[in-house]
Amino acid sequence: MADEPTREWSEEQLKNDDLPKKDVIKFIQDNAAHSFLNEHKLLGNIKNVAKTAKKEQLIVAYNQLFESKRFKGTEPVEDVTEQVRSVKLEDKPKDLPAEVIDEGPPKFTKSVLKKGDKTNFPKKGENVSCWYTGSLVDGTVFDTNIPTTARKKKQTKPLSFKVGLGRVIRGWDEGILTMSKGETSRLEIEPEWAYGRKGLPDSKIPPNAKLIFEIELVAVD
Amino acid sequence: MALEQLSDVVQRCQALPDDRYTSEDHDVFTISGRTCIEEGNCAQVLSIVLDEKNQDIVRCMGWNLLPPLIQVLLKKDSQKLSQCLAIFNHLLQTCRPKELLIGLLEQLEQDDLVAIAESLHLLLNPLQRVLLCLGSRKASSLGMTLCSVLDQLAKLPLPHTKEQEEDDVFLLCRCCSDITHFVKPFVQEARQNLQNREENNQRTDSVGGELGRDKEDELGTELLKFCMKTLSHTLLEAQLKDPDTLPESPLRDFATDILNSLSAVGESLPSLVFQPLLRRKQVTGFLEEEVRYPKESLACLAHLLFVHHLAADTFPSVFSPVFALRCNMEHVCLLLSRTEESRIQKGLELYEKSLVRVEDGSLPADLLEIRSFLTVPQNLVKVMTLCPRHDLRTRGLKVLQLSIDKLNTEAKYSFFQYMLKTSSHSGVEGYVIKNIKNQIDAALQPGNSNSWFEGVQLLPLLRKVLVLPNGPETDLLQYLDRIMESLNLLRYLIIRDKVTENQTGIWTELYKIEDTFLKPLRVGVNMSRAHYERELHDTLVTKRGKVKEESMLSVSVGKEKLPNMTSESQIQALHSALHTFDMIESVLVRIEELTEVKENL
Repeated sequence: MADEPTREWSEEQLKNDDLPKKDVIKFIQDNAAHSFLNEHKLLGNIKNVAKTAKKEQLIVAYNQLFESKRFKGTEPVEDVTEQVRSVKLEDKPKDLPAEVIDEGPPKFTKSVLKKGDKTNFPKKGENVSCWYTGSLVDGTVFDTNIPTTARKKKQTKPLSFKVGLGRVIRGWDEGILTMSKGETSRLEIEPEWAYGRKGLPDSKIPPNAKLIFEIELVAVD
Repeated sequence: MALEQLSDVVQRCQALPDDRYTSEDHDVFTISGRTCIEEGNCAQVLSIVLDEKNQDIVRCMGWNLLPPLIQVLLKKDSQKLSQCLAIFNHLLQTCRPKELLIGLLEQLEQDDLVAIAESLHLLLNPLQRVLLCLGSRKASSLGMTLCSVLDQLAKLPLPHTKEQEEDDVFLLCRCCSDITHFVKPFVQEARQNLQNREENNQRTDSVGGELGRDKEDELGTELLKFCMKTLSHTLLEAQLKDPDTLPESPLRDFATDILNSLSAVGESLPSLVFQPLLRRKQVTGFLEEEVRYPKESLACLAHLLFVHHLAADTFPSVFSPVFALRCNMEHVCLLLSRTEESRIQKGLELYEKSLVRVEDGSLPADLLEIRSFLTVPQNLVKVMTLCPRHDLRTRGLKVLQLSIDKLNTEAKYSFFQYMLKTSSHSGVEGYVIKNIKNQIDAALQPGNSNSWFEGVQLLPLLRKVLVLPNGPETDLLQYLDRIMESLNLLRYLIIRDKVTENQTGIWTELYKIEDTFLKPLRVGVNMSRAHYERELHDTLVTKRGKVKEESMLSVSVGKEKLPNMTSESQIQALHSALHTFDMIESVLVRIEELTEVKENL
């Protein structure tokens, strides 16, 4: 068995407001067995645990950890369950939104139609301008800002917005951050990162629709 | 007599160059000319006006004849109509545009409802011709004209129902179409200017281009002012009908044209509706922005785009529903803070439309740190409890529930706390408590557990619910809704949550609830019952003795005094109060039974 961890803080230190909850949670998460963490609802992203757990609860858990000595590695089955857990995603404890943050792979695919300059990549919060056409899987175009005739193109402006701030659907935010100035790409966006279960009936986007956008990134500033 | 004077002054002036006419000539021409038309000598005036030798005179002084001419044209019934029309048309061709403009605008000002619509109908076309003659100097004159046109339009009553819009008795709809036709060439020109400017900018980014821009922008600025004023006046008041209800709606077309005009003068509709969030940070010219883009106009614009889907083909479908909601909240806040029913209705509609797009249970708690997310619910409470229109009150409640459904668990928790603290209305609090019960019920379903509606976190919320606001002295009838929902919640918890599980923490909290809620409630019920029984007794005695006492109090509504309550209805009211206390007590007793049994187990 590995060396047992030692108490890092005394009772007074624990109660002191200068000691942030996050440190206590980190210590317990680093040292306690999985089942112990589960019982005390301390699993998941530290930030989220800190939101839900009170300092008193944490102190109790901290003390119990040393009383019960249920440190990491003390439970032989734990490693196995840990592995199973990482395979079976459904096993996430449901009351911890923290786990939702790890969403797996991006819910869009990009294919480059025309390469960009590969130097001007937009950063979060920067203004981008683009021409785009959005269509459904069956080819129905539900929205475009590209005018039909060349003459009209002069009259309209590309759509511009600050990227990466949640102003547009997630697929756009994440997709455009991977593009460089001048690039034209085709983004296929899963419904979760588009208009989801609700769809956008007013704009002819049905529920659970995968959306296909052809986007030309014309400016980054 | 007048005719001779007119002939004389015209003959005298024929011999003079136009800068030598005296002010006396002007006066004589004006007075005698007007009199001739009023007296019906239009044929003679027409021949004078058309005479080749008189064109200088007409160009300088002819516009003075406009008032009587327009009177004849408005009345339509005169036999002289065709002659007057010929004079009018000749004046429009010959006189100087600046003077014509003044003359025409003067005649636009009317107060009689029929005259307002008719004069707009008659004069908008001539005004357009005159303004177009002004060339590049027309912007400010156009602004002046549009301003007075909209002031006239505002005097006409708006159609409210579908039938009213179809009948168009006050001709407001016709005026709107007239106005659309009137502005069309100017919008076209502004669009062209914008395009040229952009081409120039692309070619040369020179300083000269910048200077040229300011000058050309004037036309666009005047049109922008016009669109904004139309939005915040006419369109904010009007209730547009959907195409299903009214396939052809002049008002809807008018609104669509306004949106198209905005795009034409270079204003992007998304930037306008999302402005509350997009532009706030640009400090420079902040005040100017507010004047240029009045908040009410933008709120109306958001309503047209999101509720009526006008200009839907030009509005991008790439914005995230949460972002749209955040922006629209500012508009909703503004609309619901007013008391006019048209605004309240628009606010509710816009809020509902913005919420429907968002997934259930998805809005995070940090949104509740944004001011508008806290102000709007307070406004909703006002609508639900004070608005005189029943359908709006009901709709307010529906939207409140919808807004609760969209919050995630943590946000619901904070929202309920906030509502219990701020709403100060028994019915609303009762409704919130019912929602709390539903959330606890959901959390207790297998696989649904969350940290907010059970266990440690739930207790602080329950403590806010299971209290009597003023102890035993609380007015039970006034707080009835709240009290009954609290009792229902407590009964539910005791039945649903087992003593051994205590998932909600209710069993360990019971002794406190006894002190803060149940005991004072029992005392309150007893006191109230005793009081009302006494009242009932007294009323019955009085009735039997048929002693008619003059009441100390009288209630009047408006200036009419309401009749005193008859003793029958007094007795009825007292009985119903006593029934209410019975009802409270029966639930109380049931709770006691349940807790005693379980504690004995």
